[in-house]
Amino acid sequence: MRSVLWGAALILSAGAAAVLLRRWARLADRLYATLLLTGGALGLVPAIETLGGNPASTASFSGSLPGGPWAFALDPLAAWFLLAICLAGPAAGVFGTAYLAAERGHRNVALAHALFAALLAALIGVVTSQSMIAFLASWEVMALSAYLLVVFESEQLEARRAGLIYVVLTHVSTLALIGMFAAMSTTTEGRTFADFAAGSQVASTPRTLAFGLALLGFGLKAGAVPLHFWLPGAHAAAPSHVSAVLSGVMLKVGIYGLLRIIGLLGPAPLWFGWTLFGLGVVSGVLGVLWALGQHDLKRLLAYHSVENIGIILLGMGVGVLGVSYHHPVVAVLGFAGAVLHSLNHALFKSLLFLGAGAVVRATGTRVIDRLGGLGRRMPLTALAFGIGSVAIVGLPPLNGFVSEWLVFGGLFSAAGAPEALRFVIVGAAALALIGGLALTCFSKLDGVLFLGQARGPVPSGLEVREPGAGMVVPMLGLAAACIAIGVLPMLVLDPARRVAESVMQVTASPPDGWADAAPRIASVALGVILAIAALSWLRSRLRYARKAALDETWACGGLRLSPRMQYSASSFAAPLLAAFGALAGVPQAREATAFHSHPMDLVQDRAVLPTWRGLEGLSQRLRHWQGGRIRWYLLSVVATLLVLLYYLMQWKGAV
Amino acid sequence: MSGLHELLLLCVVLTNFWVLGTTRLSATIRATAIQGGLLAALPIALHPGWSLHIIGLAAGTFLVKAILLPTFLNWAIREASVRREVEPLIGFTASLALGALAVALSFGIAERIPLPESDSALLVPVALSTVIVGLLVLTTRSKALTQVVGYLILENGIYVFGLSQVERVPFLVELGVLLDIFVGVFIMGIVVFHINREFDSLDSTRLTELKD
Amino acid sequence: MTLGPLLALIVVLAVAPALPGIATRTRAFLTGRRGAPVLQLYADLAKLIRKNVVYSRTTTPVFRLGPIITVASVLVAATLLPLDGHTALLSFSGDLVAFAGLLGLGRFALVLAGLDTGSSFEGMGASREVTVSTFAEPALFLGLTVPLLATGEFSLAGMLGERLAGVWTTAAPSLSLAAGSLFMLTLAETSRVPVDDPATHLELTMIHEVIVLDHSGPELALILFGNAVKLALFGGLVISLLVPRGEFPGWLAVLVLVGGLGLVAVGVGVVEASMARLRMNRVPQFLVAASALATFGVILLLR
Repeated sequence: MRSVLWGAALILSAGAAAVLLRRWARLADRLYATLLLTGGALGLVPAIETLGGNPASTASFSGSLPGGPWAFALDPLAAWFLLAICLAGPAAGVFGTAYLAAERGHRNVALAHALFAALLAALIGVVTSQSMIAFLASWEVMALSAYLLVVFESEQLEARRAGLIYVVLTHVSTLALIGMFAAMSTTTEGRTFADFAAGSQVASTPRTLAFGLALLGFGLKAGAVPLHFWLPGAHAAAPSHVSAVLSGVMLKVGIYGLLRIIGLLGPAPLWFGWTLFGLGVVSGVLGVLWALGQHDLKRLLAYHSVENIGIILLGMGVGVLGVSYHHPVVAVLGFAGAVLHSLNHALFKSLLFLGAGAVVRATGTRVIDRLGGLGRRMPLTALAFGIGSVAIVGLPPLNGFVSEWLVFGGLFSAAGAPEALRFVIVGAAALALIGGLALTCFSKLDGVLFLGQARGPVPSGLEVREPGAGMVVPMLGLAAACIAIGVLPMLVLDPARRVAESVMQVTASPPDGWADAAPRIASVALGVILAIAALSWLRSRLRYARKAALDETWACGGLRLSPRMQYSASSFAAPLLAAFGALAGVPQAREATAFHSHPMDLVQDRAVLPTWRGLEGLSQRLRHWQGGRIRWYLLSVVATLLVLLYYLMQWKGAV
Repeated sequence: MSGLHELLLLCVVLTNFWVLGTTRLSATIRATAIQGGLLAALPIALHPGWSLHIIGLAAGTFLVKAILLPTFLNWAIREASVRREVEPLIGFTASLALGALAVALSFGIAERIPLPESDSALLVPVALSTVIVGLLVLTTRSKALTQVVGYLILENGIYVFGLSQVERVPFLVELGVLLDIFVGVFIMGIVVFHINREFDSLDSTRLTELKD
Repeated sequence: MTLGPLLALIVVLAVAPALPGIATRTRAFLTGRRGAPVLQLYADLAKLIRKNVVYSRTTTPVFRLGPIITVASVLVAATLLPLDGHTALLSFSGDLVAFAGLLGLGRFALVLAGLDTGSSFEGMGASREVTVSTFAEPALFLGLTVPLLATGEFSLAGMLGERLAGVWTTAAPSLSLAAGSLFMLTLAETSRVPVDDPATHLELTMIHEVIVLDHSGPELALILFGNAVKLALFGGLVISLLVPRGEFPGWLAVLVLVGGLGLVAVGVGVVEASMARLRMNRVPQFLVAASALATFGVILLLR
């Protein structure tokens, strides 16, 4: 544990070095990167040891600190999220030195580096702290440094607006957490997590309250629909390497918090599990659906974070329900899927945001429909981005598949349960739909960004080319991690199970059939890779086809195709969005020669802002029901009927 | 015989899906006709003893629901020269998804509803889902004719529900068949209406304009 | 591991190219034409791999890798099915996720290969293909959830294997609904009427064909072969569900499968002859209907 705190200290000193040595830019960057990487490594080693089975280590500072002793501990759950922080964080930091180098002239880059370092250190603090005040203090440092980084490009109205929404909501979240701790404090004197765990009583009001407030506070942080609307704006406005950490790592702190509370307070109530499950389904499907309609590269990726948080919450909900209904096999698969997907998402989402950063740097725009054909100029970026895409869609042979398989496993293994638990199997259909939508979205993104031809000229002064090693190496490193987990799932499946058991506080015997699947998943992954290699070799042996003639793209016998005639991202997504209608939140307009679509956030633009503006329209809307439309009247009849039936069901339960 | 009535009930649900999914008015009518036929066969499958009561009920149902009303509806289409498309207010895809949801919901409700045991565990859920689908068609299709079809389906649901309680409440089913007279009146209304008015006004959304 | 599943796989791969031929021939017969020979695709494949290739100047290696990845993933997906009625080459709990994922990988590669040409037509096809497959995905999972629930087995080999015959007596309605749903899915996934029409000659109305407009020679051969194998795999799912072959000796099981595949191909042909393709915006509805059928099957088992 000491080594982790030293790591955090080193990361903080990296920030200090960046500020102090800002006159000597090259030296400052080198030192900053080195200190970040060393700090990350210092956190990584004990995390891996703990996950490998080492006992949890602790550190405590009493002295004259407010709120009693500040305790820190590295147990499997903390170690798992530390792994995500220390893998994605330094990689993004190193990328950041190269990414921000171009802005050194007109922005305070050193300050951005310092804030980034503070953000990473605070994240480490959040996942390792074991007492209330230490946790809340780290939480606030994390929230504020993230806010300052979101408004880094503060001359842009969009960034200021996103920052405002973010800072308000993050404090709502903090407030909810303070309330949660207050609720837990009513049953115990101490202020450490161990005290809270000891003081927790089954089915008491404070406990229920604590679960409810945890759902609000951590749900806001994680960005579950309908609490997500701060997220796309904030993640799009921040500098790309910061977006990588915000999306890849900071959202996971919300997931960590929920898992921590579940671990502390023991078996969660049924409503909590079903709520998590429902939030997971809704966030997953709507997140990816809304991502599909976006025109802004980074907003699109941010909505995908909502989707992935949904998948994680789905797994977690299955886990909680599995514990509640006493099905440890279901629970262990659900929880393991949730934590593994958290790590995987940290890896591939950081990778994708870094790739987006490289694209933005090279072309100066985030608008997808202005880009195209970048693959030939930036092959390594395209390769890394492609790997990230396959991973996020959850396709074999990469890591996203492994964790989605686990979540599916949780859903499927609930099939035999006699109680209501068996109904979670419908979640499999939702998860499948999410997968299909994600595939659509990333085929659109990869195809339009990197393939085909450029759709317009780049602004003067910019040249589209592969970024330097400072940006390419972190991306390739993260891509390698995605491949490693996908091809060798045995590396992570056992530790993930250990984390799941530590949350459930039960040692579930490895479920038969599921436990021994790792080598077979590995053979699927290797099988695909080998088959591709074999077919490529066979293809290269074909005598006639070795020499290829080059020509124009076939224009179906007509005129020559121009870059402007390529399918655009908006048209690519249009049929699917049309099939979902108003739910997609993308109003479309067709003119004789033009097609416009304007994505909006249904929750923010249709629910939050209108409510914000006041309730005066309510009476007006009530009048609307009395509009003489038979359908509405009939609908009210249906609604009343259903309410009565529900009442009937309840009544029977009472007898 | 127990397999047969389950199969019939399953087919009833499938015809519900068919009604929700099809875009053709004639197909909707064909689906309701088939549903009527299935319903006619149900009492026989449930009570295999060839009693006169059952035979009469089956024959009557078949005559009314499978032959008379569909023919009548088709005649109304021709007579009122209604356009042959269903005009849904929500998409067919959404209708189908809602239909699937309705089935899930009714199975959930049927499990907990305090009803005496009936001949088949499927009767009540199928009845409920048919009623809900009927209401769905009534609320989401704009043509007067499709609303008649919706009403017919709703009533079919009530018929199935009556079958489940036939021991406790005799003649409930027969009373249900009497409801079909309503349908006849409906159709007559459409035809007569056409003679007086333009075909456009068959669209019941226009009723909104009746507001003061 | 015995040699059985491997031999079964080889047999299925060998007969797969005949299936589109059977479907086309059936369609031609029913519409009063003679039609191409059943074995036409074998000849096409043999000819295509001996031809020169033409690449567009716009393309990158993605264009060449696409068909290879498609066929590779379809081949690995084939190893997950119990083709001999008992075991699969590769089988683990939840392998149906891998099955769907592998087909998804193949589709992803092919769609990107299409987009690589920068042609508006291929972009259009790619967009349609992913739209269709998005709606197909839940139907596939729901359809396979039915045998999973009925048998209590979590692997494809388990749920389509020995225990299936026993549960047909109790879960017949659900299983037939699932088989119907999977047959509808077969039509969609292998680009047949009513979702797509392999016989159409107008680019604007195509889905699958238009994505591969620029592929020629061996690449085109790979795509055609991959699609034929995909038809065999989905047909195999339908047959395995309808005819539990767990009790049969291996050779008979493979024989039944091959015969069944032929019947599925005939069924595809009958559908093609008897109905027109759906309008593009009605295709999702077709697949939601497939999902609704499978959902109904699942509900019947869950209650």
